[in-house]
Amino acid sequence: MSTAAVAVGVLRLAGDGVTHRYGARLALQPVSFEAGSPGAVAITGENGSGKSTLLRILIGLLRPTGGSTVLEVGGDVFEPRRRRQVTGLATPELSFYEEFSAAENLLFAAETRGVSDPRGAVRDALEAVQLNPRADDRVGEFSSGMKQRLRLAFAILHRPAVLMLDEPGSHLDDAGRAVVATLVQTYSERGLVLIATNDPQEMTLAQRRIELRGRGLGSPA
Amino acid sequence: MPNGGSNSAAAVWAVLRKECRSEWRTLYGLSAALLFAVTSLTAVSMAAGRLADRTDILAGLFWIVLLFATLTSMSHAFVREVEGHTMLLLRLIASPTEIAMGKLLFNLIFLGVVELVLVPLFMILMGAPAPPWGPFLAVLALGTVSLAASSTLVSAVIAQTRGRGALFGGISLPLLLPVLAAAVNGTRELWGGHPIASSLRLLAAYAVALLAASLLLYDHLWED
Repeated sequence: MSTAAVAVGVLRLAGDGVTHRYGARLALQPVSFEAGSPGAVAITGENGSGKSTLLRILIGLLRPTGGSTVLEVGGDVFEPRRRRQVTGLATPELSFYEEFSAAENLLFAAETRGVSDPRGAVRDALEAVQLNPRADDRVGEFSSGMKQRLRLAFAILHRPAVLMLDEPGSHLDDAGRAVVATLVQTYSERGLVLIATNDPQEMTLAQRRIELRGRGLGSPA
Repeated sequence: MPNGGSNSAAAVWAVLRKECRSEWRTLYGLSAALLFAVTSLTAVSMAAGRLADRTDILAGLFWIVLLFATLTSMSHAFVREVEGHTMLLLRLIASPTEIAMGKLLFNLIFLGVVELVLVPLFMILMGAPAPPWGPFLAVLALGTVSLAASSTLVSAVIAQTRGRGALFGGISLPLLLPVLAAAVNGTRELWGGHPIASSLRLLAAYAVALLAASLLLYDHLWED
């Protein structure tokens, strides 16, 4: 992308004893970490260890039941409610409006986010994930791999300082995985990338690793 | 730097346009609302004939038809997002208040469109006498704002709960009863040639209270 060289300034993302419970079930055991830009960090741990929960907490969608998080970008501290302005998330839970085309979905997101050149941002994002030939096709007609590429495009639409990728390679072919690798490299050079994964290939895209010690699926709390 | 500065007005406008485009593509709510309005009015007209001299019944019937024609569609403002799994997308790009305000504006437009069809249809099929249009439109507008604000708020509250359908009715009924009572009373008094200032004041106060409560509540709706 043409914006790849634009740095975000000093970036610090930290968690102190972050934990979360869904009722009686412990979804995320206490975890503390500190990360900054440039760089990419892999968040690993067995199924049910809280990788997705941690990303949701960091992006401000979920309030932790214990501990605290800090996100500082360019000297500005972003409270959880404002974090969506500087973060982008691609997760398998993200769905799009099936009656709209890929470009229409992204244009809606760009306009809602207040992106300065929404059509340009949509074009750039679709090019980055190599989905531009299908830009005008309805999402309802997309394969699971194409939807995953659209999730990636959605996450980078506003050129976030912190890019969060939850199982980014799911449903993707080799070309799609190469797109993920390129995005991680691009965004880790200008900001911070968090990759929640258990895929050994995706782990190699990151320089650091946060391993969650969860209970997994075997012994639910 | 990231290119996603917050602009609430732009976000509300974008959500409103998305709602309009989605409705235009699917005709999900409009077709159901118009079908209900036409069939119910036709059925009542065939069963009871024209009720020009029973303006008390006409006033109640008008608001019942408007309420039931639109309520189901408006209750889906947020439910469709949950069932289509698009709520996460919305939450990632806008604040709850921006989302809800966009949906509230859409519900107001939706009600307006239904009323554009319903009012003349009602006059023709039920033989209703022409009301004094200024006061009638004032009652209609204030009732519409209350209906839209109430259904948007309740839809937002129940969207992520189980048993949404039952909850919507259970929560909406006490919220809407004062609106319905004032709107029916005002419409009946209009047709009877009586003053409607007290009904208008009640409708206006209720609309303002609902909008104020909505603005206070929306940002705390989806805090996990």
